Amino acid sequence: MTAPAVETKDLVKVFERGRRTIWQRLRREPDRRERFSAVDGIDLRVESGEIFGLLGPNGAGKTTTMKMLATLLIPTSGTIRVLGIDPLERPREVRARLGAMLSGERSLYWKLTGRENLEYFAALYHVPPKETNPRIAASLAAVKLSDRADDYVERYSTGMRQRLALARALLPDPQLVILDEPTVGLDPQASRDLRDRVRELRSQGRTVLLTTHYMEEADQLCDRVAIIDHGRIVALDTPAALKRTIRAEEIVRLDIGVAADGGRQVLERLSRVGTVARHERTNGTLAVTVHCASARDLVPAAFDAARAEGATVQHVEVVPVTLEDVFISLTGRQLRE
Amino acid sequence: MTRLEADLRAFAAAALKELRITRRYPAMYLGMIFWPVLLPAVWVLMAQAYSGGNDARAIAAFAARAGTSEIAGFVFVGFAMYMWLSTILWGPGTALRRDQMQGSLEATFLTPASRLVPLFAPPMAALPNILLTFGVMGIALWLLFGVVPAPDAAIRAGVITLLGLPAMYAIGTLFAAGVLRYGEIGPVVQIVRGTFVLACGITFPVAMLPAWAQFGAALLPPTYIVADIRAVLLRGFGLADVVGDVLITLGLTVVIAFLAVFLFRALETSARRTGMLSRF
Amino acid sequence: MEELRAAIAIGKKDLTILSRYRIAVVSQIFTPLYQGVIPAFLFGASFAVGGRVLGLESTVGTDNLAGFIFLGGVISGLVATSFWAMAMGLRNEMDQGTLEPTWLTPTRHETLIIGRAFGGLLWFILSQIVLFAIGIAVFGLRFRPEIVFALPAVIVAVVGMVGVAYILAAIVLLIREANFFIDCTNFLFSTASGAAFPVTLLPGVFVPVAFALPTTYAMDLLRQNAIGARPALDPTLEYVGLLATTAVLYPIGRWAFARAEQTMRRRGTLAQY
Repeated sequence: MTAPAVETKDLVKVFERGRRTIWQRLRREPDRRERFSAVDGIDLRVESGEIFGLLGPNGAGKTTTMKMLATLLIPTSGTIRVLGIDPLERPREVRARLGAMLSGERSLYWKLTGRENLEYFAALYHVPPKETNPRIAASLAAVKLSDRADDYVERYSTGMRQRLALARALLPDPQLVILDEPTVGLDPQASRDLRDRVRELRSQGRTVLLTTHYMEEADQLCDRVAIIDHGRIVALDTPAALKRTIRAEEIVRLDIGVAADGGRQVLERLSRVGTVARHERTNGTLAVTVHCASARDLVPAAFDAARAEGATVQHVEVVPVTLEDVFISLTGRQLRE
Repeated sequence: MTRLEADLRAFAAAALKELRITRRYPAMYLGMIFWPVLLPAVWVLMAQAYSGGNDARAIAAFAARAGTSEIAGFVFVGFAMYMWLSTILWGPGTALRRDQMQGSLEATFLTPASRLVPLFAPPMAALPNILLTFGVMGIALWLLFGVVPAPDAAIRAGVITLLGLPAMYAIGTLFAAGVLRYGEIGPVVQIVRGTFVLACGITFPVAMLPAWAQFGAALLPPTYIVADIRAVLLRGFGLADVVGDVLITLGLTVVIAFLAVFLFRALETSARRTGMLSRF
Repeated sequence: MEELRAAIAIGKKDLTILSRYRIAVVSQIFTPLYQGVIPAFLFGASFAVGGRVLGLESTVGTDNLAGFIFLGGVISGLVATSFWAMAMGLRNEMDQGTLEPTWLTPTRHETLIIGRAFGGLLWFILSQIVLFAIGIAVFGLRFRPEIVFALPAVIVAVVGMVGVAYILAAIVLLIREANFFIDCTNFLFSTASGAAFPVTLLPGVFVPVAFALPTTYAMDLLRQNAIGARPALDPTLEYVGLLATTAVLYPIGRWAFARAEQTMRRRGTLAQY
């Protein structure tokens, strides 16, 4: 069994909110700043050669976790091994083997061309001079930017800048590539292109660890997914296995027009034929998500329930189970809340 | 509400907006104490070096060129104008360009308010800072170098300052309109401010400039404002003695203001034709 | 070797980017001239009697006004390079978002300062050459051949200023109003080094501060050798002072920078902009 690419045990990162002035420090006043745990005990094992996703809403602790792996953040407690190396003890060795794309388009020099950006970072990645040009050419080809390499980055589109940032991450010929929200801000075509590049990385034998809050991305791309919320992993498995935990074949989403304090009977009757995963009332409309074995049985029952209470079914949608449903069932919230 | 009333309201709102933005940079307040005190103080110490610690011959030579032997007063008045220029150029002078780069200029242009509101409102917001700066410099001149102008001289200097306000206002608006095409505002501010420093007798007597440069200095309102404030404050001149300079300053003000409006209108029209309002 | 290559790449990157802001290039070369040198020269000349600045001769032992001012510009320029190019440049990268990816590479983080020093100092030398050329052509700038004896002092001062840059970088990476801090401290440091006037004219309480700076000694040694100015201290003592202050500042600077880096990694403030 090959060693894992990433392994963490009980990883914790606590931040302090607010400022402690120099005067307070000199007077040795107690530290009254509020502490919050961005990462609250994460055990993770990423196997070599897989694409592993960290899926969770904004503020879940994904980026904080990535930064600890990338040596940018010091953990409060817990252990980390990246490619078998402790990033706290030997950070430069970790960075020499790691390719990371953390802040995307903002992390490039706009007054340099794409090629000049890569030449610069190749030197910082200690790429031997003889290998610099071939690696740059290979990285540009991998992200399909070879024809625009000599344009200023300020003239690139957002998607091109993201791809250039990915090319930079490939310069050290890394065994492990970590990508933080790689498709955020991209249009669907650009996102699709980037995901194709990520799949190619796996086919080259690299390990990819990525974070995302797009459940479709995690579903399509990742071999395994860890769902993270409030700094903890709430589920970890392949996307298919996670979706099977729902114990439903279909998801029915209903919008039902109800009276001011109505809807209770509707929910009660729906729960007899399925599992009400979520319901929310907004401006006289009750939005309900129900997990069921068969929508053919549930939908007529929903209409009956609504009629009995004098309510109106305004919208019905039948969708397959997604990772978002898994997230809702685990946390009671949507990924994009 | 008439169109004029509406534009005046918009003008006041724009000035208030600018004032609020500038007051959210706390370092600015520290800067209003640091620079107005230390910059001129260093030059007074330079004068100590150049005059050999008040060598009578050196002082007399300076007085012949500057019109006064009160070196600290000469330096502080010059730097008051320097701070005034800096405040105008860095603040309202760059406000339009900043708005443009942030995208808020485009939003302003979507309103029915006059296009001249974003051009002329920001300099109003700079007034409180400028007055505060002058107060700080006056106190520094008194505490550090023991120079206390006579009350009536101080009043006359205040009148010259008030009469000079429109000129500085116009310079700010001309600069604001002029930099709309430039990507790098900072260096342009340095160049323009440097030109004023060299030309207007701010740090040295205008008499030290070659003749051709003195001709150029005569076209710039700050030259007259600085010279007149020095004259009333340090040489005992009355307001009647400087009325000619004041009239020239006001005449130049009108020219500069018209230039500012003309330039701004031309750029605005060009931007509307090319569709490049958010990036000129 | 890899760190040296990385440092050279950093310097090259900075100069390449600078070259693409043409107005900034012109401004950086000529701003010290029209905001500093020319006004100071004309101000000094306004005290001249019969074409000679007798007051300056009485103060420092020479009436070579242009030499006095232009040499002050050398030290001011060196201080500005340390403050703005090396230290504040790092903070600007952080604000723009380009510091984080640099931190992700195996290059030592303190090499980022060294790299910026390479680029900054090369630019400083080039701009000083232009300024000296203008000084010679327009202001009658002239130096004694003994100026070469002051070069080792300037080189040692450069090392000292890299140490200062480490300290400043440590501060500006952690504070909010970095621009104002650098602006003020640059001015104070330059003034305390005697760039504008001899440090003996400083109010008494500030004189010990002046003599804690390597640039003060370099300034005095430069003026002694280049224009025959009267030394503030015995030249041997000045060399000792220069070496001692540099020997103290450089390691303190590296330590401060390492501490700041640890703090940023603990607080997670590297990407806050």
